[in-house]
Amino acid sequence: MSKRVLCKFFAHGACLKGEHCEFSHDWKDPSNNVCTFYQKGVCSYGSRCRYEHVKVSRSQAFASSSSTTNSHQSVVSESVPLACPSKTAVKWGYSILSVKPADHSICSFAAAGNCPRGEKCPHIHGDLCPTCGKQCLHPFRPEEREEHLKTCEKKQKHLEALKYSQEIECSVCLERVLSKPTAAERKFGLLSECDHPFCISCIRNWRSSSPSSGMDVNSALRACPICRKLSYFVIPSVIWYSTKEEKQEIVDSYKGRLRSIDCKHFDFGNGTCPFGTSCFYKHKVKPGSYAWNNLMPRKYSSNAVDMDALLSSFKYLYRPHRRIGREEEIFNAEDLDNDILTPEEILLMHLDFETSDDDDDEDLDDEDFFLMTQQGFETSDDDEEA
Amino acid sequence: MVDFARVQKELQECNRDVEVSGIKVSPKADKLTHLIGTIPGPLGTPYEGGTFEIDIQLPDGYPFEPPRMQFSTKVWHPNISSQSGAICLDILKDQWSPALTLKTALLSVQALLSAPQPDDPQDAVVAQQYLREYQTFVSTARYWTEAFAKTSSLGVEEKVQKLVEMGFPEALVRSTLEVVGGDENLALEKLCTV
Repeated sequence: MSKRVLCKFFAHGACLKGEHCEFSHDWKDPSNNVCTFYQKGVCSYGSRCRYEHVKVSRSQAFASSSSTTNSHQSVVSESVPLACPSKTAVKWGYSILSVKPADHSICSFAAAGNCPRGEKCPHIHGDLCPTCGKQCLHPFRPEEREEHLKTCEKKQKHLEALKYSQEIECSVCLERVLSKPTAAERKFGLLSECDHPFCISCIRNWRSSSPSSGMDVNSALRACPICRKLSYFVIPSVIWYSTKEEKQEIVDSYKGRLRSIDCKHFDFGNGTCPFGTSCFYKHKVKPGSYAWNNLMPRKYSSNAVDMDALLSSFKYLYRPHRRIGREEEIFNAEDLDNDILTPEEILLMHLDFETSDDDDDEDLDDEDFFLMTQQGFETSDDDEEA
Repeated sequence: MVDFARVQKELQECNRDVEVSGIKVSPKADKLTHLIGTIPGPLGTPYEGGTFEIDIQLPDGYPFEPPRMQFSTKVWHPNISSQSGAICLDILKDQWSPALTLKTALLSVQALLSAPQPDDPQDAVVAQQYLREYQTFVSTARYWTEAFAKTSSLGVEEKVQKLVEMGFPEALVRSTLEVVGGDENLALEKLCTV
């Protein structure tokens, strides 16, 4: 349609569209050197961009799309699926009556809060969202409406909670927690057993302060400074809660986050974690670690497959050329060419043998064991600020 | 490191309702680690009518460590040393909590004055007397209050005398003493800055 502007791809000698290209393949035509990213609002090259950064006023873009003087802009405007069937069909001369109303997107300006074209806007203006007060509810897409309402309400709640949190004072430093100077300090420390607010640094300071004047760690330091109720862990949170459910949500998401992080004390089975099975962090046993070699449950050793023999052969194969705890190396494929069998191969051989066994119960046990060792022990309960 | 921001806040907070509680805290020097607290003797006790001064030292760990408090006014009380003024109070030791403030701690000391715990004494002599000869204890405590904790007219005259000897004009000394409520140290400080 717009044969007047030189095709960019053609200019570089690589237009795949050939004759069917909508841009001119005539060297005499001027090239369009306007940066489309800039016009959309974001060009990551900034001043280094080799295209021209020209801002197009709305009216110009509007007008140009009906005439075809500037193909570049017209393409931009047309690429936006248009709305308001009756109005636009007449105005633009399109035959888009066949398009379902749900397929039109709503006016993004109105959705953002303010459409400069107002009544004359060719796009559908969404219905008013009662929560955010913007015209962003699509009249013909019920799922989208639902979703927006839901997220909007959630956001609103979060905002209210944040506003409420601003007022909360820490009882130790007597300052508003969210008005502290550094970002790291602007966090609450939630105690698991009571609802007294402190900032995370204050409560951690108190709990970790050395019991110099005969204060007992368990009765004094672990207790809430206000109500003296014992709490075994502190949860950091940027927001203060107003209901039990909100607190639970904060606690759960915190624990969930920690559960995906490997415990540095446990160190994949090479170290010892002072929190044991109640640690919040992931306790994953890696093959070859101390725990793998020495602490695996003994009861499995009486199975059809001799786990002791398996483990010792495992150790034997593993030790001569490897250091403890380096999984990457264990599972390295380079060993496949060697004459020595890799631990996995031995394990697989044993397991193959074992599946042919008739004893179902014992099979299950072994499978459990295998799964367990593969995935590591993932325990979760409670922990202290590790 | 002492949390000075908190100490400042505590002082402001405490001085805001000094009329209601009667508890005053003021810095002894320009350093905020050494303070003077004053509490009125509780009504209905032998300490009634007295104003007791308490010397407060803030340790480095404050508010995570308890403030060190001891009476600088002599008191006859089973839980307060009649010699050194040391206070036997759990919240100033192992039961301290950072949620407590200087004011709440002083309030607890005041409460201790009205409710002695002779079973857990600081001063054994006083505690013995409290348990065996209660009447003697009461009269001794009252006498000590009269003698040491009251800013009697004679006391004022003594202070005036002392300040005048330092070279300040008598009229100015009197008016300054009145302004600071009879506190000799504060008056001296004020006179020096005038």
